Amino acid sequence: MEFEEAVEEILNNVDVEREEVEKKLKEFLDYGVPIEQAKNALIRKYGGGAREKKIKDIKPGDRNIITIAKILTIDEREVEVKGATRKIYRGLMGDETGIIPFTAWKDFGLQKGDVVKIKKAAASEWQGQPRLSLSEWTIIEKVDYEIELAKMPPKRLNLIDIRPNISNVEVRGKIVSIEKREVDVGDERKIVYSGIMEDETARIRFTAWKDFELKEGDAIKIKGAYVRSWRGSPQLIFDENAEVEKIDEKIEYKPYVIPLFKVVERGGGLDILIEGIVLEIRRDSGIIFRCPQCGRRLKEGVCDEHGQVDGVPDLRIRALIDDGTGAVDVVFNRSLSEKLLGKSMEDYMKMAEDAMDYGIVYSEIVDKLLAYPVRVYGDSIQSDFIISIIAKDAEIVQPDVKKEAEELMIELGG
Amino acid sequence: MREVAWRVFAAEYNEANHVIHGKGEKAPKYVITPMGGKINRLFIVGVLTDVENIGKEGIRWRARIADPTGIHNVYAEPFNPEAASLLADMEAPSYVAVTGKVRIYEPEEGSIYLSMRAEEVKKVDAFLRDYWIIQAARNLKMRIDAMREALNMPSPSIRQLRELGYPLNVAEGVVEAIKFYDIDIEHYEYLLREALSYISIEKKETSEEVKKAEEKMVAIVKELQGDEGAEWDAVIEHAVKEGIDKEIAEEAISNLMEEGIIYEPELGKLKMV
Repeated sequence: MEFEEAVEEILNNVDVEREEVEKKLKEFLDYGVPIEQAKNALIRKYGGGAREKKIKDIKPGDRNIITIAKILTIDEREVEVKGATRKIYRGLMGDETGIIPFTAWKDFGLQKGDVVKIKKAAASEWQGQPRLSLSEWTIIEKVDYEIELAKMPPKRLNLIDIRPNISNVEVRGKIVSIEKREVDVGDERKIVYSGIMEDETARIRFTAWKDFELKEGDAIKIKGAYVRSWRGSPQLIFDENAEVEKIDEKIEYKPYVIPLFKVVERGGGLDILIEGIVLEIRRDSGIIFRCPQCGRRLKEGVCDEHGQVDGVPDLRIRALIDDGTGAVDVVFNRSLSEKLLGKSMEDYMKMAEDAMDYGIVYSEIVDKLLAYPVRVYGDSIQSDFIISIIAKDAEIVQPDVKKEAEELMIELGG
Repeated sequence: MREVAWRVFAAEYNEANHVIHGKGEKAPKYVITPMGGKINRLFIVGVLTDVENIGKEGIRWRARIADPTGIHNVYAEPFNPEAASLLADMEAPSYVAVTGKVRIYEPEEGSIYLSMRAEEVKKVDAFLRDYWIIQAARNLKMRIDAMREALNMPSPSIRQLRELGYPLNVAEGVVEAIKFYDIDIEHYEYLLREALSYISIEKKETSEEVKKAEEKMVAIVKELQGDEGAEWDAVIEHAVKEGIDKEIAEEAISNLMEEGIIYEPELGKLKMV
């Protein structure tokens, strides 16, 4: 083995300056150590074995990772760590073999499009996927060449499996509604087309950044779309990089019961059907009074906006619904509350007036609904700690338990 | 994020002896059960068999709630007086639904006593109890399936289970359980069948005639029971007068007792639950 060859091999395996390696190797040789042994000794000395990895080879639990990748997206966000707020940066990076999400725990000054060499990074598992973690100890330097990104076939997904922050997806669906809008992007005014599309599994909002000449009722296939979160729910986005073709297929969404863990994971949804047990009736359920001008709920007869007003009574229920896999809040308006309770708001007004206590309505709601299974059809809205669903229809379900027990027995094979 | 309420049979919950700590500021505790439940909150429906005051001030209560596989120990703590007073006022036996958090008592390393701390308590009926058994059975069935899949993997991982469509908490629970327990799937399949047969078998054999008689027997017991319960003989006599065959009447009573609708407060007396 030649000297130069040995130096190259060492450099491929460790993270040390060439000059230093050459100097040390020469020293070993001067002491008469055979070159093969000297090379191995140096690799060990410099903590070798840390070889450059391709993105597709990074596995959760890997430490001391060296890789070269291109930053595809990067977002800044604030998180609470031990009571203090700090900024972290999250995004996607990729090379010719794949794409990986990353979290940077400090500001490395990374920009979209940068090609960087990363040393001493680690990989963790997050929601079952590897994620690259760039910490205080990670070393990042920009490199001056282009990476040909993996031309991965798009991931084919049903709309129910769409999650925020995934990219390069292929979906098919039918345009339920579409409208042209103008939006400001920086200083530029752009025209976008947004609306709702559906397949057999779900309905979803979309935005097209180009005029694909889509109209209501069109069945289409989209390759190369990506997904962003919009008010907590996934939104499909496609632009000039996407391929859109019209297809001759009949596509129709028929609501079916979705387990709540899926609703929680995807961040809600449109026109979804869920089923679960009422595990809590929120305290603000029952007869409430609203401002006659803005409809806001009054607090002790006072509207935040309009002050002391004559409140208009309303009946509503806010309940926690849990199916054993996930939990959501559901808001039932007056007519759905009346349907579930089997009594009208007037009945409850009278009941409360007779008892001189509106709390009696809350007790009756608990009595009639707590611990019962209900089925709800509705749309989710954004809220902080839990997904809220505004019910558009609801009923108490009466499952045939004996039949279900027998079916389960059959599934168990006897 | 709101912790989901697990429907888990008492036998599986009580056999668990592994606790892990979640991440983040509040670091919730999770009980990992032998079939891969990862439990911080529970929802149970069962028969309240007894409730006793264990606090000096009379504000701490312990209830025992039976499901087809065993007993859930439920505590109502002073900081939730509403749940405590609901439990305290309930008569045993009655059907009760409880939502609560895991309560972990670890007197020494390696010995763990599990119970639950009530958040919400409600008296319910037999239908909701039966439906709970179905839910608990479905959940256990899903975890048994996930466990089988995982044990067939060269190195079981959350990622592979997620790809098969299992919820994240089930994938996490199953992978953690495999690390900690000697997995005995057959044991839990047996338990699952036992629990289900509680609902399905007894009632299949009930003839139309007995079913009709059951309704009438309920009315008769209600009429005669008073505070002490109705005399068995008097109930049968009454039934025969209404044209029900003596054997049918007796079968109806025994069905109603098995279903937990009627019980014997003392030998020879019948009372509604």
